[in-house]
Amino acid sequence: MSKITKSSTAEYFAKNLQQVGFSSPLKAVLTTLKEAVDNSLDACEQNGILPELSVEIKKVGNGSSRNTDLIQIVVEDNGPGIEPDDLAKVFGEYLASSKFGRGQCSRGQQGIGISAATTWAQLTNAKGAFVTTKTKKMRKAIHGQVDVDIKSNVGVLRNKETIDWNKDHGVKVSFKIDGRIQLNGDGGLITYLEGTVLVNPHLTLHYKLMDADWVHVERVTDTVPSVPEATLPHPHTFKLGEFITHATLFGKISLRKFLKTGFSRVSEQAISQFIEKGLPKNLLEKPITTLGDADFKKAFQAVQDSPLMAPSTKSVLTVGEESLSKSIQRLGEIDFFSVATRRPSICDFKPVVVEVALARFMNRGEGDTPVQLLRFANRVPLQFDKSGCAITRAIESVNWKTYGLQQPKNSLPLGPYVFAVSVVSPFIKFKNASKETIDASDELVDEIRRALIQAGQRLSRHIKKEFKEADLERKLQHIEQFGPILVEALVRITKSNDSRKKRAEEGLKKLLGRDSKDAEEELKIAESRLAEQKAKHAHIFGEEAAESEGSSEDEGEVNESPKKSKANAPKKKANKK
Amino acid sequence: MAKLLKIRELKIDIPKEAKALAEQMLSDLEKSKRPVLEAVKTSLDNSFYEPKIGYLTPGDKVVRTELNVSSVQKLARVVFILEIMLRNLDIGAVNTKRELYYICKGLIKGEKNLKPLDFEDQVESDAIIDFIGDMLRVYREELNCFANDRGGQTYSQNLIVTETLLDGSKAVIDLSTLGTAPFQPKNKPQSLKLKIKKKLDFCLVIESEGTANTLQSMGFTKRNNCILIGAGGVPSNGVRGWCKLIQEQIDIPIYFFGDLDAYTMQNIFRTLKAGSASSLIRNADFSAPSVRFLGVLPDDVKKYDLPYYNVKESDPSEQRSLKKAKDAIENDPFFQDKKNKGLTDILRWLLKEKIRCEQQSLFSVDPKDPIKMEKIILEKIKRGSYV
Ligand SMILES: Nc1ncnc2c1ncn2[C@@H]1O[C@H](COP(=O)(O)OP(=O)(O)OP(=O)(O)O)[C@@H](O)[C@H]1O
Ligand SMILES: [Mg+2]
Repeated sequence: MSKITKSSTAEYFAKNLQQVGFSSPLKAVLTTLKEAVDNSLDACEQNGILPELSVEIKKVGNGSSRNTDLIQIVVEDNGPGIEPDDLAKVFGEYLASSKFGRGQCSRGQQGIGISAATTWAQLTNAKGAFVTTKTKKMRKAIHGQVDVDIKSNVGVLRNKETIDWNKDHGVKVSFKIDGRIQLNGDGGLITYLEGTVLVNPHLTLHYKLMDADWVHVERVTDTVPSVPEATLPHPHTFKLGEFITHATLFGKISLRKFLKTGFSRVSEQAISQFIEKGLPKNLLEKPITTLGDADFKKAFQAVQDSPLMAPSTKSVLTVGEESLSKSIQRLGEIDFFSVATRRPSICDFKPVVVEVALARFMNRGEGDTPVQLLRFANRVPLQFDKSGCAITRAIESVNWKTYGLQQPKNSLPLGPYVFAVSVVSPFIKFKNASKETIDASDELVDEIRRALIQAGQRLSRHIKKEFKEADLERKLQHIEQFGPILVEALVRITKSNDSRKKRAEEGLKKLLGRDSKDAEEELKIAESRLAEQKAKHAHIFGEEAAESEGSSEDEGEVNESPKKSKANAPKKKANKK
Repeated sequence: MAKLLKIRELKIDIPKEAKALAEQMLSDLEKSKRPVLEAVKTSLDNSFYEPKIGYLTPGDKVVRTELNVSSVQKLARVVFILEIMLRNLDIGAVNTKRELYYICKGLIKGEKNLKPLDFEDQVESDAIIDFIGDMLRVYREELNCFANDRGGQTYSQNLIVTETLLDGSKAVIDLSTLGTAPFQPKNKPQSLKLKIKKKLDFCLVIESEGTANTLQSMGFTKRNNCILIGAGGVPSNGVRGWCKLIQEQIDIPIYFFGDLDAYTMQNIFRTLKAGSASSLIRNADFSAPSVRFLGVLPDDVKKYDLPYYNVKESDPSEQRSLKKAKDAIENDPFFQDKKNKGLTDILRWLLKEKIRCEQQSLFSVDPKDPIKMEKIILEKIKRGSYV
C-alpha cells in the first residue's frame, strides 16, 4: 500500500467508489450522510464536546444520470471546527486523516470517507463539498467549495470567503449529489439516524428529511464518552501477509524494535521465547527493510508458536446500560425493554465488548414480521448484507421461544421488537471492503450470543408477566361467558326449576373464582419478580422502581424498564424549527 | 316420525343416560363440587387385542375433563351439542357432522349470549361430537349422526339385500339386476338383511374401486360365485360395517387384495380386519376379523416378477408411513400378537426392502390377457397363498 502514489489514490477511488459505499443512488445518499455524521461525532468526542448535530436532506432537482434525483445533504456540527488551512486536505485528499494508524475505537479509520463523498458530488454534479468552518480562535467563519483534483489527489479550495456565523465553533458541510432517498427499512435514512441516536446517548440531533417537519431528539446524558487510548494489535491476530505489510509502515528499524513497538504484548521475555521457538538471533538486529519473505516467515512462525499474554481490554469503550436504557426510549414509546453490557473480553486475540438492547415498541413493527435488527460496529450502524454478519448469526442461534418470543427455525424472532446489538473493538474484522458485515468467527458469535441470552432472560420476565395478565383476563372472561351457558343448558336438559339454577350458578362462581384466584396469585409472583429486577437496577429507572425493594438477582449485568416506564428521557417530538 | 332402526342391541337408553349425566353435573355444581366428565381414551396405548375377539377393544384408560376456568368452554360446548343430539333422537332427525356444525352456527347466531361458544371450523365441533360418543360409549350413528357413505361398491350375481327404510317399509335389491353398476352399502349396515340365491364361494375386497369395477366389467362375478367389493381406500364406517355384515350373515371366506405397502397394511387392512384405535368403542360392529390378506404378498413380487419401485427417501408421506410401520411393530397390539405374525412379517419385510408394489401391477404379468388378474387371484385362493 505505501508504494501507491497520491495521484493514483484519488484516481483509484474515483473509479471504485462502489467499494466504499457508493454502489447505488440509494447508498450514495446514505453513505454521504454517514461519513459526515461519523466525522462530526468523532471530532466532538476527541475534543470533549457534547455533540449537537443538525441534518437536512432534500430533493433539489433532477439528477444528471438516469433514475436519480439531485439530493442535497447538509450536516452541521458544534465540533472543534477545521483549521482553514486543512479544509482542502480533509475534504479533497484521500488518506488524510487524524485517526490514521489503527487501534482506536473511533468511527472513522482511514481517511477515505469524506473525500469519497466529495468525489461523488463532483462526478455527478460537477461541484465538490461546500464547507463552512470556524474554530474557537476564529472570529469569523470561512466558507468555500472544496474539489478533489483527481489526477494529483490534492484538494482545491475555491471561492473562499469570510462570513459571519453565530456559532463559537463547528463545521457545516453541504453536498449536492445524484441519488435517491429511502427513508425506512434496513437501508433507510431514518434507520441510520435512529441507530445513531441509540448508541450516542450524548447526542442531540435535529433532522429534517424531505418535506417532513424538523424532528428534535435531545441528549439523555451529559457525559462525553472518552475514547480509550489507541492500542497496538496483538501479533496472534495476524496472517503472514499482513505481518509483512504491517512491517512496511515502520521504515528502517530493527526486527526487535518492530516486534516490540508494532505489537502489543511483546516483551523482552517474549523475544527470548521467540528465539527458543526458532527465531534466528541474528535476524533480530537486522533492519526490517532488508529482510526477505523467508526471514519474515521464520519470525512470524516463531511468534505464532509462542504463547503470549492476551491483549488488554482497556482499549474498548461501552455505551453502558444506563445510557442505553435511556437512549432506546428515544426511538418511540415502548412497552418494555432490557439491556445488557458485557464486560470487555478477548475474541480471536482482539479486545471486544458487546452490548445488547431489546425493546418492544407500542407503535412499531408487527406481530408476525421479523424483529427490527440494528447492528453496530464501533457505534456505526451497519445497514446492508445482514445475513452473513456475526450479529445475525448469533441472534439466529439463540432459542428465543424460551423467552416467550415467536421464532421460525434458524431465523430472527418475530414481533414488534427492536434488537440492537453493538460490537466495539479497535480491530473489527469485516467480511468485505464496504464494511457492512462483521466477520462471524466462532468466538465472536459466542460472545454476542452470551450477551443476547442475558438480555433475553430479562426480557422474558416482562413477557411472562404480560402472559399471566392475559391469562387471568382470559380466565375471568371465560367464567363470565361460559358459566351461564353451561348452567342454562343443564337446567333445560334436566327440566330443573329456578332455585336449582340459582344454586348451581352460585356454586359455579365459587369454583371458578378459586381458579381465577390461582391465576391472580401467579400474576402477583410474576409481578414481584419483575419488581425485584427493577429495584436492583433502580439507577436506570429512577424513583418509581426504587420504591419497590426486592432481593438481589441471579445474574448481574442486565437492566430493564417497567411497562410504559416514565422515560426520564425526553420523548421525540416533531415541531417546526 | 317413526323411530330409527336400532343399530345394535344397546344396553343403555341414551336419552336417559344423558339426562342422568346432566343431573349429576347440575347437582355437583349446586354443591360447589367440580363436575367431571369421563370418556374412553381412544388411542393405541389404550387398545387391546385378543385374537379370539378379533378386533381392538378399549382398556380402562379414560380422558377426564374436570370443570375449571380452562375447561368450562369445552363443557359448555359438550352440553350444548348434547342437547341438540337429544332433540334429534327425540324427533327422529338425522344429520351429518357438517350439518350439525351448521345447526350449532344457526343456534348461536340467534342468541347473543351464545356467541362465545361459536366454532371457528368444523374440526372443533367434530371433536365435541366424538367426545360425546366416547363419553356415552355409543356410536355416533346411535346419536343419529351419520357420515357420508363412501366406498364399498359391491357386485354379485347371487346376493339379495333387503333394506328396512325409515318408515318401516322394505326395499329389496337383487344385485344381479344391476349390470355393471355397483350396489352402494349405507353406513347403517344393520338395517340391511342379506340373502343368497345359492351358496357362495368367497368374498373379495379390492382396495381400488376402479380395479374392482374392471374385474366386474370383464365378467368376474359371472364366472365366479362370489361377492366383489371395491373398498375405496381407507374403509369408511359403511364399508367396515358392510364387511362385518357379510361375515355375520353369510358364512364365506373374505379376502382383501391391495397394494403392498405399509400404508395399506396398517391403515386399510388393519382397520378393515380389527378396527382402529380412534374408533375403539365401535370396532365390535365395524370390523371383519375373518378377512384375510390375499396380496400383494412379498412372494408374489418374486413369483410373478411384478414391477415395483423404491420408496423415495425424499417423499415425506412415504417416510412417515414407514416410520408408522416401525411404531406399529413396536406398539400396536394387533401387530404384536403372535396370531398376526404373518402380517407383521410383511411390515418387517417392507421396512427392510423399502419398496412398494401396487395391486395393479398384476396387469403387467400377461399384458395381452385382460383377465390375467382374475386368474392370478383365483389361483392364489386355490393355492392358499394368503395370510
Ligand atoms: N466535522 C469535522 N470536524 C473536525 N474535523 C473533521 C471533521 N470532518 C473531518 N475531520 C478531520 O478530517 C479527517 C479526515 O476525515 P475522513 O472522513 O476523510 O477520514 P476518517 O474519518 O479519519 O476515516 P474514514 O475514512 O474511516 O472516515 C478526520 O480524520 C478528521 O481529523
Ligand atoms: Mg470519516
